[in-house]
Amino acid sequence: MRRFWAIALSCVLLLLSGCGAAAPEELTLFAMDTYMTLTACGDGAKDALEEAAQRINALEQLFSRTREDSDVSRLNRQGSASLHPETAELLALSLSCAEATGGAFDVTVAPLVSLWNVTGDTPRVPAREEIDALMPLVGVEHLHLDGTSASLDEGCAVDLGGIAKGYASDQVAAIFAARGIRSGAVSLGGNVYVCGTRPDGTPWRVAVQDPQGAGYACILSLQDTFAVTSGAYQRNFTAPDGTVYHHILDPATGAPAQSDLLSVTVLGASGSVADAYSTALFVMGQRQAEAFWRAQGGFSLVLITADGRVRCTPDLSEQLTLSEDTSYVLEVISP
Amino acid sequence: MGRYSVKHLTLWALLAALALGLSTLDGILPLSALLPLPGVKLGLANIVTLFALYVSGAPAALAILTVRCVLGAVFAGNASALLFSLLGGFCAMGAMILARRSGGLSVFGVSLCGAAAHNAGQIAAAMIVLGDTAVVGYLPFLLLLSLVTGSLTGLIVSRLLRAAVYLPLS
Amino acid sequence: MSLKSSPPECRPNRRDALAALAIALAALVIALIYYIPAETASLQVSVSVDGRVEEFAPLSRYAGVHTYSHNGYTLTVSCDGATVQVVSANCPGQDCVHTGAVSKAGQSIVCLPARIVIRLSGGAADLTVG
Repeated sequence: MRRFWAIALSCVLLLLSGCGAAAPEELTLFAMDTYMTLTACGDGAKDALEEAAQRINALEQLFSRTREDSDVSRLNRQGSASLHPETAELLALSLSCAEATGGAFDVTVAPLVSLWNVTGDTPRVPAREEIDALMPLVGVEHLHLDGTSASLDEGCAVDLGGIAKGYASDQVAAIFAARGIRSGAVSLGGNVYVCGTRPDGTPWRVAVQDPQGAGYACILSLQDTFAVTSGAYQRNFTAPDGTVYHHILDPATGAPAQSDLLSVTVLGASGSVADAYSTALFVMGQRQAEAFWRAQGGFSLVLITADGRVRCTPDLSEQLTLSEDTSYVLEVISP
Repeated sequence: MGRYSVKHLTLWALLAALALGLSTLDGILPLSALLPLPGVKLGLANIVTLFALYVSGAPAALAILTVRCVLGAVFAGNASALLFSLLGGFCAMGAMILARRSGGLSVFGVSLCGAAAHNAGQIAAAMIVLGDTAVVGYLPFLLLLSLVTGSLTGLIVSRLLRAAVYLPLS
Repeated sequence: MSLKSSPPECRPNRRDALAALAIALAALVIALIYYIPAETASLQVSVSVDGRVEEFAPLSRYAGVHTYSHNGYTLTVSCDGATVQVVSANCPGQDCVHTGAVSKAGQSIVCLPARIVIRLSGGAADLTVG
């Protein structure tokens, strides 16, 4: 008997090791102050990924605040600049998102971002007076855009950090489409774009990070969609007194947003808009975020509230599965 | 084995024909209602393999098995059917030879080992054809099922062997 | 080989029952292996340093303490076979340490200054948003 099982087992193992499907192409890079993974399957996948990586690096050259020679740095330093058409396009998009969200998303919070420096090496809690001194500089009325030339009022600055990765994912999607990629998945530091389905024809399974723990809160089955999450857990620092300050600043208060949400995931057909809206809706808080979705439409939402509820829009109820080992309660947002 | 007598050759040919008939019957049985795996069979033809093993020895049983698999695939007309029956059949054959040699097992025990190995072989074939290891998940159910088919095969063959005492085989 | 010279045992005996038991047990074991740890069993850890994969191993085989260095920063990574975490690092932000333990497919620990990424793959999710 022992011999029989030994042989049967080795047969099975031999067969297991013998099977395998063609591996998808994968590329990773560090850009835009984050880590990115790009996956694509099918003919031309390798070329598509390389073009996408080049594109992302080129966009970083335009949008970065840490590179002296970027469009954004020049504009902030000189007060006015002639911009690359893509920078102008993204600024225009930022302005329309600011308008749509009533200023909850605002690229002119840059002076406050520098003041707090949450994502930098030396974050600190500024005094109220320091914040108040900068508040007059915040507001999209300080940014003037005319075609590809832009100007800023004295002392103002822009920061595209809340929308640039979304824009980059839009560009990756365009490259995939142009190259006929029918299956791919991209994560630009947590900004997700899924192209088509998985190679086996089933939807991509995208996990939404549990803002309170190591696991994930839920899994979404997605096809041809952008998904972006904003949450206080992502980047933060602890002040000497033990208070945790996160990176999403409320343009209305000049301080990290006091939200009753732990994270906001926006899904839609535009990466840029999903990126901007996820930040804005986090700042708004649950009630206002849901009201905004009802009024605006055109995108889907997964909200994780501080009191342990996962609230999704009705269209997602079929695609969303709660993680088994979390205590979250699933609710559907009434339309 | 030495020389083959006409008597033996005729018996083996008959057994091969019987095995072919049984495996065709096996294909008709609606096992797919129970298990969404095309190609997986109960293993009725193992009755013949087991009987031949006891009556005529391993080489003859192996020859009958090969003839059955090849002809079965020719009739069914596809290569994946050949893979299923070959892997299933030879796994069962190998297991039964070993189980019989190990001693102490009756026809029933040998038949149980054969049925279990038959199903393991079929799952292996399914993995090759589908290129996916996920089908291993069906193996536990098939192994439990093999306890039933193995016992049944053992019962049938034990009856056959008692009757075979009267066969003028030597 | 004639029937009369070696008559087969035609009655079921205790050893047959043992064989049946062994098969049932095998079914149970395979079912357990296959259905219970569906997620953790297939998880893979990959550690890449500056875009180059330094390590790629099943989570269970990665257990222990590992150190990785790049750009003048050193990360100490510990794995208990089911979760991975950066226990200490000399990078300024300490984001990698604050990430805590990761245990599920699609999750990763990233240290930007050191350009080190620890990623879990396989299992239920393809990638993680957020």
